[in-house]
Amino acid sequence: MNEPDPDDPFFAHPECRQILRCIQCGACSGSCPLGAEMDYAPRALFAMIRDGDLGGALKSNTPWYCVSCYQCMDRCPQEIPVADIMYRLKQMAVEAGCRPRIHKLPDFYRAFVQDVGRNGRMTESHVMARYSLKHPGDAAANTVTALKLLARGRLNLFPNRSRDPSHVAALTARCRKRETDA
Amino acid sequence: MKTYAFFPGCAYESAAGYAESVAALNIPLGIRLTELDDWTCCGATAAFSLDEGDGLALCGRLFALAQKEGHTDIVTVCNACYTTLRKAGKRMTADPPAQVEVSRRLADQGLGLALPLPKVLHYLDLLVAEPFDRRLTGKRQVEHGVGAVAVYYGCQYSRPWTTGPEAQHPTMLQRLLAGLGFDVVEHSAGTLCCGASHAVPYADACGPMIGRIVGEIRGKGGRIITTICPMCQFNLDAGQRGLGKDPLPVTYFTQLIGLALDIDPADLGLNKLLIPLSAMQKKAP
Repeated sequence: MNEPDPDDPFFAHPECRQILRCIQCGACSGSCPLGAEMDYAPRALFAMIRDGDLGGALKSNTPWYCVSCYQCMDRCPQEIPVADIMYRLKQMAVEAGCRPRIHKLPDFYRAFVQDVGRNGRMTESHVMARYSLKHPGDAAANTVTALKLLARGRLNLFPNRSRDPSHVAALTARCRKRETDA
Repeated sequence: MKTYAFFPGCAYESAAGYAESVAALNIPLGIRLTELDDWTCCGATAAFSLDEGDGLALCGRLFALAQKEGHTDIVTVCNACYTTLRKAGKRMTADPPAQVEVSRRLADQGLGLALPLPKVLHYLDLLVAEPFDRRLTGKRQVEHGVGAVAVYYGCQYSRPWTTGPEAQHPTMLQRLLAGLGFDVVEHSAGTLCCGASHAVPYADACGPMIGRIVGEIRGKGGRIITTICPMCQFNLDAGQRGLGKDPLPVTYFTQLIGLALDIDPADLGLNKLLIPLSAMQKKAP
């Protein structure tokens, strides 16, 4: 492709410009533990973006299936920061209000950040409770495990809390604002 | 003797005996950790996925707390905390405007950042370096009858923000445990991903990831899995449900080291494992 527009929302990020060096070898897609679940594994996703279909990439489930194991980044012969680019795509998708067909992970992340914004620290049972409002089936699947954890003193029902959670409320304001946007 | 800033992270308290066993090791090894006062969540993968600036600010607050107390190192016990802090530290060091912006957001809390940022270590990094590695050598050897141990580092310890020659294929914990008399098996699943928090929304997709790790370890003769991260421990401990009988117990590395130091198992929180360690202790590999 031609030199990208410096005002392009994707190519404006230095790490994202690295996909112009992608040789389409597929080491990233082959390394990805959840590549089979993705609409487009990373190699195909980068080809799409280079062909000008950023919108399709943002609507795809691909960045949300990235589990941040960083195996792709370790193995890329061109040293392209694949997982970092997935983070940019997630941030851009949230900002643009794109909801992929499968959006359970964004809901999970929002439940997580809501809990941190409220208490300063995360408590697993509280994140699960928030998340289960939207996805009750996933919570039900974990009931047996939750009871076992409770029996071993491993389930905090009361929230972990920092001394003054308002300090963190301000630092998570953009994440939480974006919850209402999407 | 140096005192390290300790960032326990949100999952530490409810982890299966991690806090107990770290506290129990600190005493005989002389490791001095001071919990970061008023610490808050690092944001993990969640904050960075939603907003880069907030992700940096949450980590920046922790660096600033450590600097305020005069610390040059932060010790973590969780791979997610470790990699998130390392990533944020690297990003803010390379991008001064981002660091200035974080300092600006922290100013009304009386906090700020100065370069260089504190170094981020994992508790494992402490144990395999001077002087604590020396204090571990020559300790009591574990008795025969404890099953063969498979080390599972998980993904976010070795990739990609770590440093040193063992970045891709770490072996330091295998050597440490072998030196304490454990029978340590070789296998290829040591840095595979357990699915982390994806295991909640995408349990069906992540099940095979856990099956692959446990299957590889079982096939190579491992009878006990040992981990260095609360998320890994939880996923492997709880995630073996449905993988058939004879699940492999999943401990923290600090619990096994505690056994070798002759610390009472009750003080290592071993009773909190979902799959009891005793099931595998007497079985030959």
